Amino acid sequence: MFHQGRPDELVAVDGVSLRLEDAKVTVLRGPSGSGKTSLLALIGCMARPTSGRIHVGEREVTSLPEHFLTQVRRRTFGFVFQQFHLVRGLTALENVMLPAYPLGGSRKALTARAQVLLDRFGVGGRSRARADWLSGGEAQRVAIARALVNDPQVVVADEPTAHLDSKLSVGFMDLVAALRGEGRTVVIASHDPIVHDSAIVDRVVTMRDGCIVGEGP
Amino acid sequence: MILHPSVLALVGSALLVGALLVYSAYWGARIVESWDLSSGSELQLALERRTHLISTLLGYVLVFGLASLFLFVFTADSLAPLFTGAMCAAGSLHASRFGYPTLLLQIVGFALASIWLVVNRADSLGYDYPLVRFKYRFLLGLTPVLLAEMVLRAAYFLDLQPEVITSCCGSLFGAGGRGFGSDLAGLSPSLAGGAFVGLLVGAFGAGVVFRFSGRGGWLLGGLSLLLLPVGLGAVVSWLSPYVYELPTHHCPFCLLQGEYHWIGYPLYGALLGGSVTGAGVGVLMPFRSIPSLAGELPAYQRRLAGWSVALLAILGILVAGIVSSSELRLH
Repeated sequence: MFHQGRPDELVAVDGVSLRLEDAKVTVLRGPSGSGKTSLLALIGCMARPTSGRIHVGEREVTSLPEHFLTQVRRRTFGFVFQQFHLVRGLTALENVMLPAYPLGGSRKALTARAQVLLDRFGVGGRSRARADWLSGGEAQRVAIARALVNDPQVVVADEPTAHLDSKLSVGFMDLVAALRGEGRTVVIASHDPIVHDSAIVDRVVTMRDGCIVGEGP
Repeated sequence: MILHPSVLALVGSALLVGALLVYSAYWGARIVESWDLSSGSELQLALERRTHLISTLLGYVLVFGLASLFLFVFTADSLAPLFTGAMCAAGSLHASRFGYPTLLLQIVGFALASIWLVVNRADSLGYDYPLVRFKYRFLLGLTPVLLAEMVLRAAYFLDLQPEVITSCCGSLFGAGGRGFGSDLAGLSPSLAGGAFVGLLVGAFGAGVVFRFSGRGGWLLGGLSLLLLPVGLGAVVSWLSPYVYELPTHHCPFCLLQGEYHWIGYPLYGALLGGSVTGAGVGVLMPFRSIPSLAGELPAYQRRLAGWSVALLAILGILVAGIVSSSELRLH
């Protein structure tokens, strides 16, 4: 619930009970304003609910003090945002390395790891290019590489194909298939048919007005 | 009331800190009453958010409260020229009946607030708010003490009149006089000095042992707790004459003046700091078996013990320096 007790109070997600399985791809589908992004933020520990609890594995996370929650978020989740949110002025490589800085460790090893990820997603040759020089497809791949730099178990993606053409969107789903193949859990909020109709999606959860109104494979 | 910048700062801060304390105590009471971590209710989640706010708020407020003890004494000292007969803070505090009770409550409040901060920090080390109820019950006990001190502080400053004739420290802390100060000054210097040095060495030793082995936390806490009142008494009856090189002068406030190189500030700072950090180790001992604290708490206690050892070492060096460099020899 946003702006609780104020005239502009908004219930973004209401009465949702959802269990996501390991190593599966789940898509949250629904029109704009249906609560997909808010639910994704709750799942990814980026927001706290007004009431209710969320468990990651065996651990209840909504009650955690912020510094503990940050550790869970940093080590468990990788995020791909709708606008990709690459930091302009930094290179692709530096953007990928960014989420790993708070964890410490050797810079040399981190640089190598980031470069391997960029190579894997076919943008290794653009590692020294600044984020603002990248095309939409390249930016998306860099964003995925960034989401994986801390080796998270869960990848959360919010409308990842919103700014991509059909070919690149299909390419994105191939990357998602590869992530699932590695045993990662993927949760995507999207109303793009290329995403929720994809054969690699295990489960589609349909939302409307903050509630779950349907589920299907 | 005397419109001195420090007076205005202390009265203003008392109002601000008092308001924040009341707000925190209100939510503390609600947390004590309704906290249930197993619940996902709206109230519980609101209390969880609120405890973060209150902890942060009180962290700053109480640190300011600790500093205000020194500002209060400094202010009383700097007001001394306004009162006939006053030579230092001893006379200024005597110029109103609220002066010494305020100081006493400030010292008590300093010790309690420091311990609360130690407990608050320990609580933040566990992922499941392991000390939340204890912490807020403690706060509910601490709040009246701090509020009473603030009311007294305001009453003291409002009650001060420049034309008042007061006593100088020589009569207030003279061994032959009457009153608490004179009683302290009249204590046997060898007894007071011996007890102080013995406790200082004992607390320092216990701190070193705990720092490196993790053992003896209760002993360190107990000795540190005793060290504070004994140390303050020993400064009056035993140590201060060495500073003044005058066996009849026992004032604990002239130490804060430039004439004596402001030696009182590091001396009292080290005594208060060393005592409360050592006492904090003892206060946390019962919580070492809590599962969510078992990993972090011993390390935190060792850090506290390290601070205590360092501050007590400074105190010991200061005391040794004062006694050895003085021309006075007490027998």
